[in-house]
Amino acid sequence: MGPISAVEKFLGILALLSMLVGSYVGLVVVPADAAQGNVQRLMYVHVPAAWLAFLAFFVVFVMSVLYLIQRDERWDRVAASSAEIGVVFTVVTLLLGMMWGKPTWGVFWTWDPRLTTTAILLAIYVGYGALRSFAEDGEKRARWSAIVGVIGFANVPIVYMSVTWWRTLHQPPSSPRSVAPDILWTLMLNLAAFTIVYIYLMVRRIRFARLEGELEKRMAYNA
Amino acid sequence: MEAGTTLCLVGPNGAGKTTLLKLVATLLRPSGGDAHVMGHSLQHEPDEIRKRTGLLTVRGFLYDDLSAAENLHFTMRMGGLKPRRDVIARVLERIGLAEVADNRMRTFSTGMRKRLALGQLLVRPIEVALLDEPYSGLDSQGMRLVDEVVSDFKASGTTVLLASHQDGEAVREAEQTGILRKGHLEILPECEPLSRHLSVGGPAGAPEVE
Amino acid sequence: MSLLYRAWAIVWKDLLIEARTKQSFNAMVFFAALVLFIFSFALGPDTELLQQVAGGLLWVGIAFTGLLSLSRTYQNEETSGGLEGLRAYPGDPRAIYLGKLLGNIVLLLLVEAVLIPAAGILFQANLWPHALGLAAVSVLGTIGFSLVGTFYSALTVNLRAREVMLPLLLFPALVPVLLGAVNATTLILEGDLMGEAVVWLRVLGAFDIIFFVICIWIFPIALEE
Repeated sequence: MGPISAVEKFLGILALLSMLVGSYVGLVVVPADAAQGNVQRLMYVHVPAAWLAFLAFFVVFVMSVLYLIQRDERWDRVAASSAEIGVVFTVVTLLLGMMWGKPTWGVFWTWDPRLTTTAILLAIYVGYGALRSFAEDGEKRARWSAIVGVIGFANVPIVYMSVTWWRTLHQPPSSPRSVAPDILWTLMLNLAAFTIVYIYLMVRRIRFARLEGELEKRMAYNA
Repeated sequence: MEAGTTLCLVGPNGAGKTTLLKLVATLLRPSGGDAHVMGHSLQHEPDEIRKRTGLLTVRGFLYDDLSAAENLHFTMRMGGLKPRRDVIARVLERIGLAEVADNRMRTFSTGMRKRLALGQLLVRPIEVALLDEPYSGLDSQGMRLVDEVVSDFKASGTTVLLASHQDGEAVREAEQTGILRKGHLEILPECEPLSRHLSVGGPAGAPEVE
Repeated sequence: MSLLYRAWAIVWKDLLIEARTKQSFNAMVFFAALVLFIFSFALGPDTELLQQVAGGLLWVGIAFTGLLSLSRTYQNEETSGGLEGLRAYPGDPRAIYLGKLLGNIVLLLLVEAVLIPAAGILFQANLWPHALGLAAVSVLGTIGFSLVGTFYSALTVNLRAREVMLPLLLFPALVPVLLGAVNATTLILEGDLMGEAVVWLRVLGAFDIIFFVICIWIFPIALEE
């Protein structure tokens, strides 16, 4: 691990602080939900995690497109970093979803469109990661994962629509409850906190990726 | 290289002869820089080059379950040509496979396959012929066929780039020789006697260049 | 147009080889029948249950069978010098994708032509009144499957652990196709009183169009050496 830069330190501290504040507000300050009780507080981490899982994948998509156009390995590094971090957020989303689901609906899993799409997103991420680990050549790895990134992302909205249709044809859609301003505000706060965490992780991961890239190149020359 | 001439590539195993041929055939993309084949750029106009190039590889691009005639038929189609029976028959005659024209490739010996692969270069009009180890797998009759084909190429103004470990008339008749070692290519001066660098059936050593 | 001409040459070659060796077709039919059989065993003799899930079982069978043939799509080229051989020819490399795609679609449709009636017998469902609807689902679903499958098998052909990577990449991408095909089939078999099957057919059609455009556009990049 190299010396940590000032920017990273700043971001790290900011991330930690904002998470603490967000958690405190979510757990203590905001009143519990009338219907679901304290379990509903999970929403303050589950929803931001989900949001970031998809944002991270959107970043993968954009970077993949940029890479395919410009063939600059920097875009590939950002894409790979975002994918790694995205997996973490996706798993967190699913776990929290399950934790929320059990006491609320009595089941760990439902075929809710968003949950299902998130699960498939995880599968796409894993495929992306596996592809990278099996491709040895740096350029091919970048190119192939960029292709998978683009196609995978193009598929996500289609999957979401298909699953939504599937569910509505079998079950009436759950009507969205109006959200109290307190809850909304807390949600936004936690969302911001999570986003800062994402940025912090990205900055560090990209730096490592750059170092890894350097190492690869040097090893290739000496081989 | 000058159009219509022949260049023979020699070098130890792993030097990159096949890689060089594949680069010219546009099967590999240059990682940097550029080259021009018949005035067309490798980086920007690979398709123009492919239209005019024929590649003979060690293994050949042949389908076991098609007959010799059908393989040539396919080659012509993929070259964008309308396959003509008379052309195919003529080429099969030339390469000595007329009698087995309708037999499946699966039944062919190595030498016969090599001849058919050579035939693939003859069914399309090409300006540059790239031959990777054309003699390998062939008996003396086959080797003579290769020599004949190469001199036919010369006569019709086709440029020939061939890589070979083995000695043969086509190699000796080459106007120029290039020695490839660890990715570095040196063109020998014309008067250099090539035969002292080669042995029949053996690999070329690393020669001293005066 | 040269693109179609050369694509057709590849289709001709692949189907000719297949007709002669019948390697893929036989293996696929047997495998598909086996899958259906095992599913039926697993679910038990309750005919009503089987009929309810017939659509799903059928398409799982088709998906696995299709996967089998995809792995072979470029395998065939291995012995003849690999994809390299095809890439050495002039013209748009998309012809390769198109040719392989059409070959896969035809082969899979032929297998389904045997499989669907077999499923009808196994699940004791009368298929004839629904023949047209089933044919539509079959065609649209097979196209969708083959579009993504042909593309990903080209991508993974040179990859280590290709046998694992292909399904891993393919199945998430196939979710809309499977959903559409299974639901449409089930609805059609139940008589589809409310005309809902058409919605799913539209989903399949949209998927087919979108991914045809994407895959054929990106293909040359996937093929680069």
